[in-house]
Amino acid sequence: MFAIIAVVPSLAAQGGPPRPAAPSPAEVAAQVAAAERGRVIFKGNCSACHAEDATGGRGPDLIRSSLVRHDKGGDLIGAVVTGGRPDKGMPPFPMTESQISDIVAFLNAQIALFDLHTRYGPYPNDIPAERLATGTVEAGKAYFNGPGKCNTCHSPTGDLAGVAKKYNPPDLEVRFLYPSGTPSTAVVTLPSGKTFEGTLLLNDDFNVAIMGKDGWYHSWPKSAVKVAVHDPLAAHAELLQKYTDADMHNLFTYLETLK
Amino acid sequence: MSKALYLILAVFLSTPLGLHAQGLDPGKMSKAPTDSWPTFNGDYTGRRFSPLTQINKANVGSMTLAWAFQAHTQGLQSMPLEVNGILYIAGGNQAWAVDARTGRQVWHFTRPGEATSGGNKGLAMWKDRLYLTTFDAQLLCLDAHDGKMIWQVQIDDPALKAFGSMAPLVIRDHIIVGTSGDTADLPGFLDSIDPMTGKVEWRWDSMPKPDDPAWNTWPHDTNVVTRGGGMTWLTGTYDPQLNLLYWGTGNPHPVENGDTRTGVNLYTCTIVALDPDTGKLVWYFQTSPHDTHDWDMVMTPVLFDGTFDGKPRKMLAQAGKNGLFFVLDRTSGKALVSEAFVPANWLSGFDPSGHPLPRRDKEPQPDGVLVTGGVGTNWQAPSYDPDTGLFYVNSREAMGVFYLTMPGKTAEGWAGRDFFLSSKSMLKAIDVQTGKTRWTADTEGRGGQSGILSTAGGLVFTADSASSLVALDAATGKVLWHMYPGGSLGTAAMTYELDHRQYVVYPVDGVIYGFSVPAP
Repeated sequence: MFAIIAVVPSLAAQGGPPRPAAPSPAEVAAQVAAAERGRVIFKGNCSACHAEDATGGRGPDLIRSSLVRHDKGGDLIGAVVTGGRPDKGMPPFPMTESQISDIVAFLNAQIALFDLHTRYGPYPNDIPAERLATGTVEAGKAYFNGPGKCNTCHSPTGDLAGVAKKYNPPDLEVRFLYPSGTPSTAVVTLPSGKTFEGTLLLNDDFNVAIMGKDGWYHSWPKSAVKVAVHDPLAAHAELLQKYTDADMHNLFTYLETLK
Repeated sequence: MSKALYLILAVFLSTPLGLHAQGLDPGKMSKAPTDSWPTFNGDYTGRRFSPLTQINKANVGSMTLAWAFQAHTQGLQSMPLEVNGILYIAGGNQAWAVDARTGRQVWHFTRPGEATSGGNKGLAMWKDRLYLTTFDAQLLCLDAHDGKMIWQVQIDDPALKAFGSMAPLVIRDHIIVGTSGDTADLPGFLDSIDPMTGKVEWRWDSMPKPDDPAWNTWPHDTNVVTRGGGMTWLTGTYDPQLNLLYWGTGNPHPVENGDTRTGVNLYTCTIVALDPDTGKLVWYFQTSPHDTHDWDMVMTPVLFDGTFDGKPRKMLAQAGKNGLFFVLDRTSGKALVSEAFVPANWLSGFDPSGHPLPRRDKEPQPDGVLVTGGVGTNWQAPSYDPDTGLFYVNSREAMGVFYLTMPGKTAEGWAGRDFFLSSKSMLKAIDVQTGKTRWTADTEGRGGQSGILSTAGGLVFTADSASSLVALDAATGKVLWHMYPGGSLGTAAMTYELDHRQYVVYPVDGVIYGFSVPAP
């Protein structure tokens, strides 16, 4: 039997650089305010060539501009804005230092937004339910009570009542697909016939360990005992291999109604 | 012979040896590793196979700790080098020299003013110099005698989130190095750098130029072809006879969104063969055309010779993050074997030349799509054992849901999210003649994210997914030795023999363990 492993983000990690320390809440608030002022200035003066989100168009993409990213408080951007780039068709924009500082704040915020959007960035709580609910409630309900056999263990008026209020949309989808983190339990039988039952902590080739119902940790060499594992997620693991994309969308659309 | 002549002869004969007694003899890199482990993979082939037999199937059960080195850092991912009795170990902005017989520290280098950590894949050595890549995308040259820095050069732009972590590869008087990153769109490359001065001798770009037919595998209504992908995250391999350098490249950018880059997007997710003297491309084989799943092909291209379909062949085998295993003729780049080694639903099959045919309906979607095949394996090194003819790879059978979170043509950097819902880890032994799995070490817990070493002692050394270090029978996968080291193997084991004693070395978290068998 295979160990089903809840996959941690490091599954695909190649190892990246250490992350810098977070700024204080007051600093964040000041940056946000400056970035909002900068957004307005940018829209009015720069967006025709660089696009409102700064990803470029007629003019260069500023999100992945090395110059913009190396800027410290306007030291590089300022000269480009006020002096222009006549050789490349960019006219000078006479602006004050505070206007440039606001544009820099806006560009830094845009860069942070794009860079944050990584595999390792925060969970995408911002995926709205409408985007995921592309199936139909009826088909989802039919799957729940039919081929999915979800109703064997779950009830929309019992354990799942209000489940769509409890989880944000992508969390709800990922959890019904495979609610990882739910531990297996095991019954360990000693040669004497005595049994121990508890939450399974380790079950590799060599040892078994449980947090026993008696409140104590126990471990044994595998060779000395018999181990019967109960995986409460076995049905989810089996179903996961059977879902079509349409089943997933329908089931989400149905479960999202359980508010 | 006069005394004077004797003296002159003695000086003449001993000086070159004396001068370079602690330096690396470059010939060692072309031979299977025995008394040294002079490159990331032990030698140029990437097989991570040692001909040593002192530790073998019969006695590995008695293998025990000979020494340990505490690096006082976390999460070492470095493959140690061993040259003339000294181990050279890399960390993030730091490195160590350690006595390979005793585990005692010789020197410790930390780069002034920079944060240190464990995360770096390893050093490269040229004569008496060492080369280290850093998080801020520099290449450092250190003096192997004392760990003092000789020079540092900027090789990529850290503002675009490029970083260094690979062990460079030394070919004659060239340091071959590339960088990593895909937070922002970033073009990949390989540089050949002068080991004395740090100057770039040639650069090969993963992104094609307008005079290259591969230019037309990208659209030209955007500048996406200049923006990137094809990062060279890991260390390649080299065939001195063919004088070809082999490397795998990473995914295209933006990641997981193909809307803005119609076409197969060469040379991303591609195995390339380059002339190491000029950096010119000789052949390529793309393993994930128009990738939308972040399935880099940066894993080790493993080189071996043998018979295939009754004919002698020079072969290259590579197992990818996309769950596919390829054997190529490494003189031509033509596929001999294309086979999935884990269940993979993202492709409908292979074209007649062995390239996968991706399914459009399994590209990331705004409402999610269920995908199998990745992450079939990752950066942890595989191994090939010429005695068994088996390619060993730690694999995962996983189901993931892929969301396109930044649709449209203005996407940059990461444009999707993938969540792996459940996975089964296992070590697979793949027959290189067929691509079929000969045996799977599939009991619970075994087969994590660890790299692999195989030896002529009939053994495969790795760690299981519950972090026990294990030695397996290379022919059957049976566990012959195991030990829980109190942390995780961050890379793979390596081995060498000094004073007639074979050591198996495992870097675990911040500790380097040296194991041996008791003297008979």
